[in-house]
Amino acid sequence: MTIQRREFVAALAAGGAAGLAGCSTLTGDDGGDAGISGETLTLTTTTSTYNTGLLDELNAPFEDRYGVSVDAVSQGTGQALETARNGDSDVVMVHARSLEDEFMEEGYGVNRRDLMYNDFVVIGGPNDPAGIGGSDDVTEAFTAIADSESSFVSRGDDSGTHTKELEIWDETGLNVDEFGEWYQEAGQGMGDVINMATQQGAYTLADRGTYLDMQDEVDLEIHVQGPIEGGPELLANPYGIVAVNPAVHDNVEYDLAMAYIGFITSPEGQDLIENYTANGEQLFYPESLSEEPNFQQYVPEGWSADNTGNSSDSSDE
Amino acid sequence: MSLESAATVPLFAEFPFEWNYIRSIIVVSLYVSVAAVALSTLCSLPIALAVGFTDFRGKGLLTSIINTGMGFPSVVVGLAVLFTVSNEGPLGSLELVFTREAMIMSQFVLAAPVVTGVSLAAVSSVEQNVRDAAYAMGGTRLDVALVTIKEARYGIATAVLAGFGRAISEVGSVLIVGGNIASADGTSKTRTLTTAIQLEAQRGRFETAMILGVVLLAIVLVVNGIVVRLGSDGGGYR
Amino acid sequence: MTLEATDVSHGYGNETVFDGVSLSVSTGEVVAIIGPSGVGKSTLLRLLALFDAPDRGTISYDGEDVWRQPEGRRLEHRRRIGMVFQDASLFDASVRRNAAYGLRVRQSWPERIRHGFAQLVGEQNGTGDAVEALETVGLADKVDQDADSLSGGEAQRVAFARALAYDPEILLLDEPTSDLDPRNTAVIEDAVLQARDRGIGVVVATHDMHQARRVADRTAVLLGDEILEVDRTERVFDDPRDDRTRQFIDGELIY
Repeated sequence: MTIQRREFVAALAAGGAAGLAGCSTLTGDDGGDAGISGETLTLTTTTSTYNTGLLDELNAPFEDRYGVSVDAVSQGTGQALETARNGDSDVVMVHARSLEDEFMEEGYGVNRRDLMYNDFVVIGGPNDPAGIGGSDDVTEAFTAIADSESSFVSRGDDSGTHTKELEIWDETGLNVDEFGEWYQEAGQGMGDVINMATQQGAYTLADRGTYLDMQDEVDLEIHVQGPIEGGPELLANPYGIVAVNPAVHDNVEYDLAMAYIGFITSPEGQDLIENYTANGEQLFYPESLSEEPNFQQYVPEGWSADNTGNSSDSSDE
Repeated sequence: MSLESAATVPLFAEFPFEWNYIRSIIVVSLYVSVAAVALSTLCSLPIALAVGFTDFRGKGLLTSIINTGMGFPSVVVGLAVLFTVSNEGPLGSLELVFTREAMIMSQFVLAAPVVTGVSLAAVSSVEQNVRDAAYAMGGTRLDVALVTIKEARYGIATAVLAGFGRAISEVGSVLIVGGNIASADGTSKTRTLTTAIQLEAQRGRFETAMILGVVLLAIVLVVNGIVVRLGSDGGGYR
Repeated sequence: MTLEATDVSHGYGNETVFDGVSLSVSTGEVVAIIGPSGVGKSTLLRLLALFDAPDRGTISYDGEDVWRQPEGRRLEHRRRIGMVFQDASLFDASVRRNAAYGLRVRQSWPERIRHGFAQLVGEQNGTGDAVEALETVGLADKVDQDADSLSGGEAQRVAFARALAYDPEILLLDEPTSDLDPRNTAVIEDAVLQARDRGIGVVVATHDMHQARRVADRTAVLLGDEILEVDRTERVFDDPRDDRTRQFIDGELIY
């Protein structure tokens, strides 16, 4: 009880401090040397990183080192980016490169880094009605599911996983809108969709992390592996982290966001990711550290310096 | 994670982390719901008294608006509050998004019509005779209002508890405006019983979800028990 | 001390209840208002109790036109008046709390709050006058019962004690015994006479002419929308000046 009360007082104090900080940013930018201790970083992220428990592992040492707290809000990728667009979060960790690029091109995000990756797997009931087991071509496997009209549960929530699934259907040349009742859009998080697929013996596309975390509780098998186990590159699932542009939203904790990005892309943070396991299996593969230049991770894909409309101009309106 | 708490609660001694987690969720749930209902009651009672004992044009319309409010979908309320407190919204500068204060706001909006509607019915059932008696004995308008509240006390208590029941078992709006946040050390910041149950079920941690569900049920049962007791036993007001 | 209605008219909406009525009551006398049911006796009492301002005419207390006073002054006047209704209208609380209500609202807020807390731990402070008033109506032994456990007659006696407890100068009784049995009626009438002897001015509205004869020093006859006559009770009953009064007293006038 005492702990809670103290925490509540601290929360009130932090609220007051945040209010004051808001005022001071209006009147001028003095007080910048007060440091970031005691601040709260709001991170919007996807259900897949949150539900695996990885964030708790990363945030605790970060909080200890800087004396700050991290509020992680778990949303779908689309919602997480939308929250950041409104300036309600300071940093975003998501896994849909195309949506991240859009976010940056609109000027809402700065200083993107590749963070880590894992992969997607196609899972389904052990009897495998579409006969896709062991296939190393996910496009063919999806075509087989559609041809046999075997049940398939789609996330249907604009998440990174949903975006990837639609990308694969695109590759098959089939039109999702014309699918029959075998194709269900759940509109739920990954965990819920895996539970639904179990109930119905249906196929679904899942990120490996969530599947591994839940595999003991569900009766589903991997039928198509992702690139981590030698599957097709199309199933790669890269995570990026982006700070919210402080020139667009002057209330964001930009310095704290950069400290966070710095921490989790550092060797220490990357080690934590490397060593995080669920049920004895590694869930995520660090991707930040590279001795070779890797400029493409900082900017939208296909961006080059010749492009007009440089971000600092367009975002300052 | 605290070792003392594990020691003081032998039942959960094996799961100090879980117990801390569950306890903090209960505290947040109660804090948010009690605060929201207390504020709702402070606003609703004067409204109920004013509406109950004055005649004006549009009284019927106002009453039906209040009654409609009792059925507001919580997700819609959550969205509306989110737009209000979001950085882009009118209250953006207060930085309330993903805080307990924002959750209190949305639960206030949900509970206030319930408290107002039920206490309006209770207050309206107080006989004019009794109010006249209070006035005739030298009571001021405030005294008459207080007598009305006392006469309607079981109905008002029912209203408050109904508002509490609505607030504590509601999931949509607190999820949207609160963000279902727990710290890395496993204590809840804006995670309530309902949002925690949803998350734990999603994670496949059904045991934790069940424990939380039992706690929520117990709270709701106790509250309903109090309502029933108030209704049957006169409450010992002497 | 005199409470006086002078040439008052009052109605609800377009309907006039009475027109140009005058009546006064002084401390130490009992005035009865008799008349058939529905003739506006209650409305007149409500005007005397300062519930509503009359449409026309004045209500004055010791010569002060009450409705020309600020609200605070009017409250002081109201607090010198007690009232009992046809229906006991007790609060849902103990007999003691009911009887002490008038005393309580006259206390300052700090006192009320302090007594409220004292009461929570079972102390009963400052209710002595209330218990005394209950003795007058013979209910001192029921002081700790719940009001809703009383019979109708007992409840009305508590209502009487409630109005008596804060020692008003004027007591207004609206058909106080019309629902009561003879025994309870006798208790109330006896209490009315005791009150008069203590110097309280009493107005009792009743359709029971015998009651008027038993308790009233003066009697006013309210018929139609006017007071036909006001005079010493014996004079009004034995030698009515107005024909309609005589008819009413003789039971010939049916409304």
